[in-house]
Amino acid sequence: MDKVRLLLTLITIAIVVVPIVGMLLAYQNNLLGLFIPPELNEIAEDLTGGGEGTNGSGLEPPTMVGEPEYNPATRTYSATFQFKNSFPVDLTIKSLSGNIECYEHGFTLGNASLSKPVSIAAGETGTLTVLGTWTEEAISHFKTAHAGEEFVDVVLVDFAVDISGIQLQLDQSQMEQKMQVPNPAYEG
Amino acid sequence: MNAILTKFNWFGLAGGATTLVVIAVSLFYPWWQLTVGDDLMKINASPVNTNFGFLDTSFTIPFIWVLNIIGLLTLLLSGVAMIIYSVMPTKSFSKPLLDFGYKKPLFTFLFFVIGLVIVTIILQAVLNINLPLMGSATSTVPIPFVSGITLSVLLSAGFQWSFWLAAVAAGLCIAARLYHRKVAPAP
Repeated sequence: MDKVRLLLTLITIAIVVVPIVGMLLAYQNNLLGLFIPPELNEIAEDLTGGGEGTNGSGLEPPTMVGEPEYNPATRTYSATFQFKNSFPVDLTIKSLSGNIECYEHGFTLGNASLSKPVSIAAGETGTLTVLGTWTEEAISHFKTAHAGEEFVDVVLVDFAVDISGIQLQLDQSQMEQKMQVPNPAYEG
Repeated sequence: MNAILTKFNWFGLAGGATTLVVIAVSLFYPWWQLTVGDDLMKINASPVNTNFGFLDTSFTIPFIWVLNIIGLLTLLLSGVAMIIYSVMPTKSFSKPLLDFGYKKPLFTFLFFVIGLVIVTIILQAVLNINLPLMGSATSTVPIPFVSGITLSVLLSAGFQWSFWLAAVAAGLCIAARLYHRKVAPAP
């Protein structure tokens, strides 16, 4: 009976010690590899654009397609963007929103949001339609502060996007890139 | 009828068999699963198989893999010991087999739960990430060296049916220890 107990105790010790010693021997020259597998580095390269695969080109900003359309009666506009999903996984842009400010004066002009969720397959390019409304004060601002200007520099603030359940919010310091929008009060 | 009932330790037999079933099931069905966003990342965890899925890539961490091997061997030997004991509960070697086998499914179960709780506490304390053990939560994830960006992710977690099967196996093994007094009364 004592021999059985001794044998079982030895087995218990062996099934704990042998795998651990084996692991330490296998990774003796790369102890960090015990906790960080090579797949994690590949994922990081995919995300940052360092990968050599066709999908690992990193994040590219959306590019505007054509001219934004404006409806003076409703003060609404729409703009179309193309966005390449450079990640090796299908993405759904569920929502996108932000406020638009005059770049020169910091005046709040209106808001912008995604017209409908867009699903983009890995490596494919999708079309996003962004809808927005200028406020009445914005129209007055365009008339008084930007009279005669066909295009006005604006900046997007309080930008928030929901991509496949991951919500990203950027404050103004991260959105310094200005855009040009047609002046709705421009009369040529 | 009473002789048949006390010839074998039925609780031990059921506990040992269930433990072996738990091992087989846990290779394919995790005890606990965490989903980040809309299936963007998944963590499938159990004491015998833990893997991570991220951007269509599945991988495991070598250190955790070794712990899983230890967990698998521990449960395997426990299950086999319980079955051998259960069909011969009165033999001289049976009591050591029972003592060896009956606690391991419970300890594996408890270590797994305690490990998960410790991980959630560490993540909350160090990175301020609210990781739910069950249910959903939106957690703000810090982005190192970047200011002005807030990243919030939807985290959904839950214990799967294989976890509850492991609880049943642990319970049956404990019951086997208590039933041992009936099948092999102390002289």
